[in-house]
Amino acid sequence: MTETTPTTSLPLPVRVGHQRRWQVLPIIEIVVLAIAVLLPFVLKDYLTIYATRVLILCLFALSFDLVWGYAGIMSFGQAVFFGTAGYGVALIARDLGVTSILLVLPAGLLIGFAFALLLGGFLLLGRHPSSVIFVSLGTLTGSYAADRVARGWYYLGGQNGIPSIPPMSLGSYDITEGPVYYYMTLGILLAVYLLCRFLVRSQFGLALAGLRENEQRIAFFGYQVQRLKAIIFSFAGAVAGLAGSLYAFHEGFVWPNMLGVVISTQVVLYVLFGGSGTLIGAVIGTVAIEAVSFWLSNSYQDIWPIILGVLLLLVILFRPAGLISLILSERERVGNFGRLPEEGDRGSS
Amino acid sequence: MDNLFVALFEILSFGAIVVLVVLGLGIIASMMGIFNFAQGEFVLLGAYVTYIVHSAGAPVWIGMVAAPFAVGALGFVLERSIVRRFYAAPIVAMLGTYALGLIIREIVRGLIGGLYLSVPEPLGGSVNIGTMHFSSWRLVIILITALVMIGSYLLLARTAFGLRIRASLENPALARASGISTNAIYGATFAFGAALAGLAGALIVPVFSLFADLGLRFLIQGFVAVMVGGVGSFAGPVAGAGVIGTLAAALPWIIPPVIADVLVFVLAIIFIKFRPQGLISGKGV
Repeated sequence: MTETTPTTSLPLPVRVGHQRRWQVLPIIEIVVLAIAVLLPFVLKDYLTIYATRVLILCLFALSFDLVWGYAGIMSFGQAVFFGTAGYGVALIARDLGVTSILLVLPAGLLIGFAFALLLGGFLLLGRHPSSVIFVSLGTLTGSYAADRVARGWYYLGGQNGIPSIPPMSLGSYDITEGPVYYYMTLGILLAVYLLCRFLVRSQFGLALAGLRENEQRIAFFGYQVQRLKAIIFSFAGAVAGLAGSLYAFHEGFVWPNMLGVVISTQVVLYVLFGGSGTLIGAVIGTVAIEAVSFWLSNSYQDIWPIILGVLLLLVILFRPAGLISLILSERERVGNFGRLPEEGDRGSS
Repeated sequence: MDNLFVALFEILSFGAIVVLVVLGLGIIASMMGIFNFAQGEFVLLGAYVTYIVHSAGAPVWIGMVAAPFAVGALGFVLERSIVRRFYAAPIVAMLGTYALGLIIREIVRGLIGGLYLSVPEPLGGSVNIGTMHFSSWRLVIILITALVMIGSYLLLARTAFGLRIRASLENPALARASGISTNAIYGATFAFGAALAGLAGALIVPVFSLFADLGLRFLIQGFVAVMVGGVGSFAGPVAGAGVIGTLAAALPWIIPPVIADVLVFVLAIIFIKFRPQGLISGKGV
């Protein structure tokens, strides 16, 4: 989306005095967090379970926002990491009987990371820089292939996937769906969110944003463009893996769709709709789409996907920066990076 | 020996189907530089038009003749109203056409429900040579594919209209300065690509039957074929489609179908990685 606004003006790396600009972004973030914390008190039980699923999808959407919104890598195969991690932890729980949260979540994270490193390494690294089209097609194909493999592999349960995964446990306590799972997911989401926020506002994040705006220029500055991309792609894969393992234990089963093209493109919809490149936009987009989808699914199940398509088209045509751009200025969306030098040491830094 | 010929015929006819589907995709990608994610849905629409005409009581072949015109007209309207805004940014074009495809697919799904609807072949029976039977309809598909391929090639390489298309591809600014309306050319090219997809859908619906995700299956295959062949020329996508179609049809005879299906894609992606320009590099026809 950012390609339509090629000349985004970066703010000068100077803070004049100590006056602070009125910031909208932290307010949005705090409001969203407050709503998320209070939600289980007002929702019915089955809605809390639904809300937990939405939070997990938010985590998944964050991973896509990192690669597309910050590094400009169009990944149409983010579900590969989501799904393989889900399958991985499901197998660990089924065949090894390990359900301890302290083992399965890191395992899911590692699986997502490893697959992203493999796929990203192959697609992004190499002597010739890969074209954007090639990367998006490669990830899309990866997603399709993973889906096909899972469907055809008897060990993975074929079409039916792996049913009745035992719940995650902490010591002797089983973490089952409900408020406990909700708050645990919220905690993880918050931690990952803060980590991502720190990352994209660091100097590394500045290099990434430069990559997204003008890759060639960043390469001329001497950055290892492809390596930067592979790093953020693997990191995002780890986040997707974490989301996938949470999802597997929450739903209690995994099935081939988790890896497939449908979920891969769904996460693209979430992020584009909410607004890519803001992190909170990914969360808002996911919540908005899932909430409306839940609301409409009873009465208008058939036409909802059509409405979704039309909405997406309208957003792409008229609001390329997503819903969030209605209240967030372009300047703040791009934001500041790293430690700001004081006015005095401008020349030295 | 007989089995070998039957297998070869199967491979050839499936390869022809892939070529037919990819041709429209390839022309749009090569001549306009955008990857049209709605192409699979144009195939679906072609199949749907054929089904509608058939269920209205008319002969199937009338639907098959009508399909490319109907889909081409829709393609033209979509290009004029929406797709033209995307030319500046290829990724946005992918997403935008994906959204278009989503809308078309879900509308068709709503219209036909989750059903698999069958459309009879307009030409049933088979051609027998010795003890071997070849489905006549598949023979017709091979024949029409060959004709369409030759026709498209002649259109692009030998006519004044084709020259304008190629001029608009290679140097839009110069083409405009020479008095060619690139806008109109892009509209016509997109409509032509859509019409080819509509024709493909109409021809293959008796073989695959009609269901909402019909196009999705061919979309990824088509893109991979275009990339393998090489974007930018006419021959590239056709060659790529031939390779992918042949592999996709031939490998299941040797190894389990699921592995074969995945292997084709993996091999194709590896090939593109190490030869990004594709089998046939260069622009033009």
